[in-house]
Amino acid sequence: MENILSVLIFFPLVAALLGFLVKPQSIRAYGITVAAIEFVLTLWLWMSFDASDGGFQFIEFFPLVSSFGINYYLGVDGISLFIVVMTALMTLLGIVTLGEVKKLKNMIISLLFLEVAMVGVFVSLDAIVFYLFWEFSLVPMLYIIGYWGGEKRLYAAIKFFLYTFAGSLIMLVGMLYVAYVYHEVTGNWSFSLTDWYALVLPISVQKWLFWAFFLGFAIKVPMFPFHTWLPYAHGQAPTIGSVILAAVLLKMGTYGFVRFSLPMFPDASVAYILPVGVIAIIMIIYTAMVAYAQKDMKQVVAYSSISHMGVIVLGTFAMNPEGIAGSVFLMLSHGIVSGALFLLVGVIYDRRHTKLMSEFGGLAAVMPKYALIFGIMLMASVGLPLTIGFVGEYLSLAGFFKVSPVMTALGGFSVILGAVYMLSLYKKSFFGPVTKEENKVLPDLNGRELAALVPLAAIVVWLGVYPKPVLGPIDTSVKALVQFMDTKAQTPEAKRVIHVSKSTKEAK
Amino acid sequence: MEGLVYTALFAPLAGSLFAALFGMRPKTLLTGVVTSLLLLVSFIASTALLWHVMHVGPVHVKLMDWIVAGDMSIPFGFNVDQVTAVMMTVVTLVSTVVHIYSNGYMEHDKGFNRFFSYLSAFVFSMLVLVMSDNFLGLFIGWEGVGVCSWLLIGFWYHKPDVTRDENPSISPSWAANEAFIMNRIADLGMLIGIFLIYWNVGSLQYDAVFAAVPHLSHALLVAIGVFLFIGAMGKSAQFPLHTWLADAMEGPTPVSALIHAATMVTAGVYLVIRAHPLYSAVPGVGYFVAVVGTFVAIFAASMALVNRDLKRIIAYSTLSQLGYMFAAAGLGAYWVALFHLAAHAFFKALLFLGAGNVMHAMHDELDIFKMGGLKKVMKWTYIYMGVASLALAGIWPFAGFYSKDTILEVAFNEHTYGIWFVLWLTAGLTAFYSFRLVFLAFWSDERYKCYGFHPHEVQRYVLWAMFPLGLLAVIFGWYKEEFVDFVTGLLPAYEVSEHTHHMLPILVTVTLAIAIGGIVVAYVMYHKRLKRSEKVEASLPYRILYNQYYIPILYEKVFAKPYAELSDIAWKEIDLQVVDATVDGIAKVVEESGDATRRMQSGNLSDYLKWMAGGAIALAILAVIVVANG
Repeated sequence: MENILSVLIFFPLVAALLGFLVKPQSIRAYGITVAAIEFVLTLWLWMSFDASDGGFQFIEFFPLVSSFGINYYLGVDGISLFIVVMTALMTLLGIVTLGEVKKLKNMIISLLFLEVAMVGVFVSLDAIVFYLFWEFSLVPMLYIIGYWGGEKRLYAAIKFFLYTFAGSLIMLVGMLYVAYVYHEVTGNWSFSLTDWYALVLPISVQKWLFWAFFLGFAIKVPMFPFHTWLPYAHGQAPTIGSVILAAVLLKMGTYGFVRFSLPMFPDASVAYILPVGVIAIIMIIYTAMVAYAQKDMKQVVAYSSISHMGVIVLGTFAMNPEGIAGSVFLMLSHGIVSGALFLLVGVIYDRRHTKLMSEFGGLAAVMPKYALIFGIMLMASVGLPLTIGFVGEYLSLAGFFKVSPVMTALGGFSVILGAVYMLSLYKKSFFGPVTKEENKVLPDLNGRELAALVPLAAIVVWLGVYPKPVLGPIDTSVKALVQFMDTKAQTPEAKRVIHVSKSTKEAK
Repeated sequence: MEGLVYTALFAPLAGSLFAALFGMRPKTLLTGVVTSLLLLVSFIASTALLWHVMHVGPVHVKLMDWIVAGDMSIPFGFNVDQVTAVMMTVVTLVSTVVHIYSNGYMEHDKGFNRFFSYLSAFVFSMLVLVMSDNFLGLFIGWEGVGVCSWLLIGFWYHKPDVTRDENPSISPSWAANEAFIMNRIADLGMLIGIFLIYWNVGSLQYDAVFAAVPHLSHALLVAIGVFLFIGAMGKSAQFPLHTWLADAMEGPTPVSALIHAATMVTAGVYLVIRAHPLYSAVPGVGYFVAVVGTFVAIFAASMALVNRDLKRIIAYSTLSQLGYMFAAAGLGAYWVALFHLAAHAFFKALLFLGAGNVMHAMHDELDIFKMGGLKKVMKWTYIYMGVASLALAGIWPFAGFYSKDTILEVAFNEHTYGIWFVLWLTAGLTAFYSFRLVFLAFWSDERYKCYGFHPHEVQRYVLWAMFPLGLLAVIFGWYKEEFVDFVTGLLPAYEVSEHTHHMLPILVTVTLAIAIGGIVVAYVMYHKRLKRSEKVEASLPYRILYNQYYIPILYEKVFAKPYAELSDIAWKEIDLQVVDATVDGIAKVVEESGDATRRMQSGNLSDYLKWMAGGAIALAILAVIVVANG
């Protein structure tokens, strides 16, 4: 299958359109089947991926508007491969756990459209195509929050949409400017990323463009102080919305840094390590504190997401393979773990229609299976070694240590404060006596919930003990990326900070 | 040999997973038996490895790669050398005893299966900690024991939070979280130490790192030494990260014996011993370690003097003895520290298991003021605890005499007389509080009768299970020479100077004298009956000691509360009122300006023309300005 990437995009698209014809009573089976096939296809992609090659693979190229250099240009490397696999996995598990919601058919069709957009973002190598998928992803999510959300769903949905949309527009201006510069230099129009990579931009231009792209990505991540849409979105979104949002949509921002900012503006990226690092540290410490102050379980997980995204940003700006590989791995592990945590919160919300921690207490005695899986995810969230959460967090911090030991020490507070809010959540909800009558009869996890949560728990342990199958290809591509940045860097500062690994140097 | 290494390491894990299968079911005796047997297997394999290391040499195996990224390559590699072999044998021996003991102790507990699953998981983590051949592998075990400790301290998680006056530990789940978070603070220090090593050595393998020590700058070595020690301070509960250990007594008593006395809390000491090439290169850091240890020794002992809680007294004494170990290790006498670590593991585990018997007999009553005269009904427990206390007090010929006395010799030999004096004084305090406990619980008037207790001795097999520890608490010290010969195959041989050698008889005499003195004082005060003096108990020094120098309350007031308040401010005042309000404010401005300018679209053609003319003039002016400037 040479055009597997196109299949990955168009299969859910066609399936979503056909979904309109499916009878409502069979839509669940239909949705699960489609998502499962898509997931198996991504697994096939992983299996056929050449792990020793750090460049783009499964490339598809087809001119769309050749006069403007816009092409249907797809490809994956080790950095995007696993995000695609995770997208398909989380969509599948999300659909599996869907309870009885109103208009289930519309929900499943929206999710399939969303999957198209998400896969599209991570496999596009043309800026315009990337941008189209990027913006298209907003629409189904807007609908999911706005239709199935809580009381303030419209406010939350519109805030989410407008805020991220505003950021993306500035990014679009940046993209158009890059294309313009490319035209000035070469005489041709091109929106192909690989063409853009080859473009050596003057430092002053890099600096402006860096911030234009930064704003688009930062709102998506979301980075402090652009993060306030997220608590509303999570607070109002149905469980499935939060799962996809946390697991995949946020990663579009950090992925953007790795895919665009680092290779296109290596000098500017190095020059702005300090401000970006400071923002990341604020994210880590400040949102961890805000998370601790929350009374609603879901809000704790929502703010904890921002805090962990801060660690990802630190790793990305470490400018060495250890840190960047760690940050890409952390994107995946955070996707799995935060997705699972949102599913878990959804489980208790389905039973009690409240997410307030004060309503619970002693759940460990009533729902032992639930407590066990929550406990595993909690430990992964606080970064316990031999869980998936440790590998990325450790590598990100280790990598950034090379850049700034002091800032790493501050960022390392993630290790402490993460334990503070998560353990406090666990104590309030799961420990102590069962105080509320209605909690004494709560049923433990049912088959559908176990079907989604057990695989996630298995992944958490598997990739924590043996991360190699995933970390290996990531590492190969990241090494190539850093090598490329080093070659392209112009300022002495960038030359100094960008740290090519010894093994890459020896291979030369 | 590879098979033996993996057998020793994975047998406890197999046991843990087996017990976990039954974790949510009612008590299955099988889980207790199977985990205990697998622990025995692990112990036998460890002993065989000890023999192998003694007669053939260290064993090094690599299981597989773990984290490989950039230049970082961390394997699951295990190295069994002299230090590891000693640690493995001690850990698996005490664990086996505690597992068998727990079959009796947890007999009627609903969480019987779950308990054994956690307990065996702990042993596995501890073995990973001592067997790993690199710093990050050690960190796996380090965090693993932390989680198991969290699970086991909070084992009776259903208990509610109460006030500090009612229970200084508040609740099991509170104590568990405190322990985890305190340790995490220290772990950050340790991680920084690991990062420093990685970026300056390029590897985290022990052999590579220690080989690189001569090439590293002094300042760097100091930094690494200090940061690793911060990590050690958390696990080994050194001041100021010590409060969690006493609160950890909320866990079931076998847990206190195994984790919070014999094994996990000594992990910090193990780390310093393991990194001895590094600490030897920076004696200044070593001296700092020794001073911290010495301070903790007397600091913890002082709190044990007045406490009434059976388990807390022993916990403070553990803290104090850990201080002794750090003092020895810090002064460069690594084998002495390891020797005391092993001896302490035996007699302290014995003491705790004895305390468990007493608790069992007294229906979980911990107040020694409510006991007394128990030796009549609990003869064997009395003998065990008596032996353990004699060893702890450092009385000849028990194990503690040999190990503690050597530490004092080292302090004297290093001319650190201040350290020597404090440790000497602490030896007296140790003897006093140990025997205060023994006399108040087992001698004196039978106060328990008026509280309606009917104490009885525990099952025969439980008493037999404790026997190996009892035996070792007596005879372990007699094998000092053999121990030294063995471990100095790896650790530097520490020998005292000629001068100290001449002084030895005097040193031993004064040390024994103060220890016996402590026992005599305890005897005089408590052997007949408990005499309480309200005046003493109301005095300031007594209250300070009884309230742990008010440190837990201080921490709550200075850290926990302000953090919670600050978090609340961050959320309500900053995040909602400033950051989010700004965003909404901007949106509002856009909306309102749009609303305000809507009137321009009046549908009146002449209005439009006016606007157009105005716009054209503005553009023209702008053009002129641009041209004029450009």
